[in-house]
Amino acid sequence: MIKSIKVVLLTLVSMAFVATAYADFTFVSWGGAYTMSQQKGYIDTWGPVKNGSTKVSVENYNGGLGEVKAQVEAGNVTWDVVDVLPVDVINGCDEGLLEEIDTSGWQKSPDGTSFNDSIVENGTGASGPISECAVPQIFWTYVIIFDPKNFSGKKPTTMKDFFDVKKFPGKRGVHTWPQAVLEMALVADGVEPTKVNSVLQGDGGTDRAFAKLEDLKGHVVHWSAGAQPLELVSSGEVVMSIVYNGRAGAAILSEGASLDYVWEGQVLDADWVGIPKGSKNKAEAIEFLKHATTCASQAEQAKYITYMPMRQCGTDIIAKNEPWFHTGIDVLPHMPDTEERLKKSVFTDPVWWADHNAELKEQWSAWMAGNK
Amino acid sequence: MSEIITTEGVPLKVSLKRAERINKIRALVLVLPLTLFIIITFVIPIIAMLTRSIDDKQINTVLPKTFEIYKQWDRKQLPSEEMYATIFNEIMTADKRAIGKASTRMNYSKSGWKSLIKKSKRKFKKIKEGPYKEKMIAIDKKWGKIEYWKAIGEMVDPYTFGYFLNAVDLKYDSNKKIVQQPEKRRIYNYTWYKTLKISVLVTLFCLILGYPISYLLATLPLKYSNLLMIFVLLPFWTSLLVRTVSWIIILMRKGVFNSILVWAGIIADENRMQLIYNETGTLIAMTQILLPFMVLPLYSVMKTIPPSYMRAALNLGAHPMHAFYRIYMPQTVPGISAGGLLVFVLAIGYFITPELVGGADGQLIGHFIAYHLKSTLNWGLCAALGTILLVVMLTLYWAYNKIVGIENIKLG
Repeated sequence: MIKSIKVVLLTLVSMAFVATAYADFTFVSWGGAYTMSQQKGYIDTWGPVKNGSTKVSVENYNGGLGEVKAQVEAGNVTWDVVDVLPVDVINGCDEGLLEEIDTSGWQKSPDGTSFNDSIVENGTGASGPISECAVPQIFWTYVIIFDPKNFSGKKPTTMKDFFDVKKFPGKRGVHTWPQAVLEMALVADGVEPTKVNSVLQGDGGTDRAFAKLEDLKGHVVHWSAGAQPLELVSSGEVVMSIVYNGRAGAAILSEGASLDYVWEGQVLDADWVGIPKGSKNKAEAIEFLKHATTCASQAEQAKYITYMPMRQCGTDIIAKNEPWFHTGIDVLPHMPDTEERLKKSVFTDPVWWADHNAELKEQWSAWMAGNK
Repeated sequence: MSEIITTEGVPLKVSLKRAERINKIRALVLVLPLTLFIIITFVIPIIAMLTRSIDDKQINTVLPKTFEIYKQWDRKQLPSEEMYATIFNEIMTADKRAIGKASTRMNYSKSGWKSLIKKSKRKFKKIKEGPYKEKMIAIDKKWGKIEYWKAIGEMVDPYTFGYFLNAVDLKYDSNKKIVQQPEKRRIYNYTWYKTLKISVLVTLFCLILGYPISYLLATLPLKYSNLLMIFVLLPFWTSLLVRTVSWIIILMRKGVFNSILVWAGIIADENRMQLIYNETGTLIAMTQILLPFMVLPLYSVMKTIPPSYMRAALNLGAHPMHAFYRIYMPQTVPGISAGGLLVFVLAIGYFITPELVGGADGQLIGHFIAYHLKSTLNWGLCAALGTILLVVMLTLYWAYNKIVGIENIKLG
């Protein structure tokens, strides 16, 4: 009896080793519907995965570069591809935590535009990757949502309305970090969305944003996890909330939630992918990323989540083939990047935020503490 | 007196020593794994944390010559052409990664250095020869702003208390004098205060709620106390996130608790109470989650108190309250101490629950450690915050030892 248990145990242990030998290629992302969209959009469709020669094991994390830095400093890198925010990809590249990747020769768009130029905007007003370590993923946006059922008369349509607690009484859901909130405050203060970055980065720009935020004093419920704002709005805890548009899109398209957007003054942010410095499967990871960033893969991902492809050619495919969402619904109305919406949008500038992140986080926390 | 010889012809003294030595080695080998484990997982990380919190060599190794000249600079007017030329050369010749790390460090003392260095590294290639000052300012106006130059003054030494200062809302000025942070950035002292306050309150609430429960557990007949024990342990086994989210559902404005009060006519519909996304919610959720850590040590100590003591006191004519206060409670002090310390230690580092239910009040010190660990990568500040946390704990432990005595902690 004991002997047979030993045999079983040994087999299990050796199987575990065999399994790790195959699944040594690790893809790390944020989990939930987003990771699912990556899985279906380009992991499952990658040749070596399809024919079974490679396994991509998918792990979840909570963002930031803490884990990557720990792995690189310890000299034991176990992640191969990691999905990161723009500020993190900049910091990671500067600190030598991410590999530099030359994407210039990667797949051209059908119209002949080079790979890098097919990323029309990266947040700094220029095209191409935001850093030498960044491979394009998606654009997402901080947008306002509300439940139309809670408004009998006029419904909010502008960022000014979000900041106007007299016209639309009730609490507002706002996240617990300063990015996007400051940009939104400036839009509400009357700055043209396209000029927000130059005002914010100019003299007195942040002070002006914080001054405008005083309008929300005592009317804010702060959230820290992406699922919270939807819960806050649907439970009536707040009348409007800032939300990641993909979360709202999934709730509307897949669950039929009663929600509406205020697109004016939305703040676009991005997700890039990078390879941690010293990854043992760098070559394989690069091949994988080439596949993950083709126009087709970019479009395919949008079947499962309402985040927009970073490459214009991906969006073009969607536009031609609507209804594109996997449930058979048009997906572009839930995307932040229609021409009309982009005119009234702000791109958050990751280079500036990488500089001012710590300082403004402290200032923002002080504001939160004083605004109950 | 002749020596005692063993049968092998070795003096007994020697033979005994040898046997003892073997025993000692054997004992040492037995504790060796544990010792190594403690050193590797406990001692080394703590030393690493302490070093990281004061280490500031990064930038000295990248811009050594600039700092030599910096020491002579009067900090009143823009630096001389010589300093511009030196920093120009050092930026151009520095390894890309080293300068990248250095720029991150410089950015901690003045936001903007990071992109300035990167941009300069890229655009300085256009400058072929001096004078450098005007050409550098032409590339970026920041080179002409004295506050950027002043900001590197705090980095001249290889060791710094800057991270510790940052952790208590202070900073160095350009002459390495300690000054306060600008008012709008002061957040850490408030956070320390809030963290301590919430930890103390949670510990108190746990004690107030946990004491009677433990008493019942220890004194009820077995069949009832077992059932009660399951009630204590069930939430203990439930996922932390599930319990946290449950509290949101119960306490929110349109949640279970408020709705019952409205239904019962105790409060009006428009006067629903704000019980979550503030300090109240944080206290309620943390108390419930940490309660078992108070109940279990208390229970195991109370279980060992013979009921005859109380009976004797009552027999001798003591009022029940008096008997409880004089006879029973002093015997539970070891349990109170153990439970109190456990709950307090856990509460002071708590971060997920307050973050989810606390709204604006939910950012305790653990939040900032996590934030700097992941987002700003300022591990020096993390280390300083962690070290302060450690010192606070050790101080409390020391004070406790002075007042109550450490031998008075008992887990059972």
